[in-house]
Amino acid sequence: MSEIVANNVRLHVQRIGPRGAAGTGVPTVVMLHGMVMDNMSSFYLSLGTYLSDAGCDVICYDLRGHGRSERTPEGYQLADSLADLTGLLDTLGVDHPVHLVGNSYGATMALAYGLEHGERVASLTLIEPPFLLEGLGEEMARSLGQILAAMSDDEVEQWLQQAAGRVAGRATRSARRLLQETTIATDMLATPPFSTEALGRLAMPVLAVYGENSDIIGQAETLTSVVPDTTLVVLSHHTHMVLREATPYLRTLMRWWLLDDRATTARPDYVPLAARRFETPQWVTDMVPPPDLNTPRTAAAAESSGR
Amino acid sequence: MTDQQTIMAGAIAATGEEVAQMDRSAVEARVLAEITEDVRDVIGEEYAFDMDITMDTSFGDDLELESIEFVALADRLRERYGAAVDFVGFLATRDVDQVINMRIGEVVEFVVDSQSTPVTTGSI
Repeated sequence: MSEIVANNVRLHVQRIGPRGAAGTGVPTVVMLHGMVMDNMSSFYLSLGTYLSDAGCDVICYDLRGHGRSERTPEGYQLADSLADLTGLLDTLGVDHPVHLVGNSYGATMALAYGLEHGERVASLTLIEPPFLLEGLGEEMARSLGQILAAMSDDEVEQWLQQAAGRVAGRATRSARRLLQETTIATDMLATPPFSTEALGRLAMPVLAVYGENSDIIGQAETLTSVVPDTTLVVLSHHTHMVLREATPYLRTLMRWWLLDDRATTARPDYVPLAARRFETPQWVTDMVPPPDLNTPRTAAAAESSGR
Repeated sequence: MTDQQTIMAGAIAATGEEVAQMDRSAVEARVLAEITEDVRDVIGEEYAFDMDITMDTSFGDDLELESIEFVALADRLRERYGAAVDFVGFLATRDVDQVINMRIGEVVEFVVDSQSTPVTTGSI
């Protein structure tokens, strides 16, 4: 396994170099995944191998506490995430500006990194960034609290024991350990608000991607109104899970963003697939898990025990 | 031609046609054993050591491999086979679901195809 120690944390890193020889002009791309129910595999298997094959130097890593990286008991504030990334780039000897591609919390982190360390960033791609000028920390902590609540009842325990299957069971247990055994939820509360003034001075180009049916689509307008050089792409029929839902289009879009001359090449059009529509369930928008959330699992457990 | 010579000639002719196929089967068996070793290593759980892993075993349905475990497996395979086997290019044409739903045989065949060199079939 590829491991490095950066900022005193053991991090699982996969660097997939560009097809052909590395040279000047090869973009280095660093991918930042989402929080708790995510790890680098969502990027590695969607955009990572594709962009490496297309000619980019791609670095994917598991954020602290996630995937195969070390689960430290504390150190989950935004500032810690940024320090981990600086440590990672230093350890890998990457001293030229990189293109950051973040999904969900990873996108918030990328934007914060661009503000703090603009000299190390060539461009930002923000996929579904939670973006609030007020109350960002509270919102993220509330979201984590909701996940923990949905994972902690007796029915979930029963499901884990009897019916979850290995993949869902491991993902759930791993997320639960992160939420219960570390300071991540309280650390999120301490997330500082973005400064409108600092965002207005952001020098690098920004590509922001949202799903039209995402529960946080309303935040896209604020982002584009505050950050100067922003290209906003809203994908119809898609939700917060757009990285997974629209992988083929995002591959084409990222290839254009990173490898084409954007001054002379038009952005690839998105043609929604008529057969596939993705909707965010109302309870996600309301942030109140419904009483019947466990129904599918209970049914699965009953079926399993009946065998 | 005596009966004995006929039998000999038949045996020799058969090797000319079949040696490439036999070689490929042997190479496939070797690569399957190598990949199986890495799969068991990545999963690291007891059930994986009891399971009979064949060309038809799927990563998702049979092995219940997590996608992060697949990343770790790809890392090992890249290290094991080096530049001769372009795993990144192989994965670049598939999305997450396609990767997880693959059979081990697809990876084995890709490795064998990448490594294959022109077969020398002897003098006949």
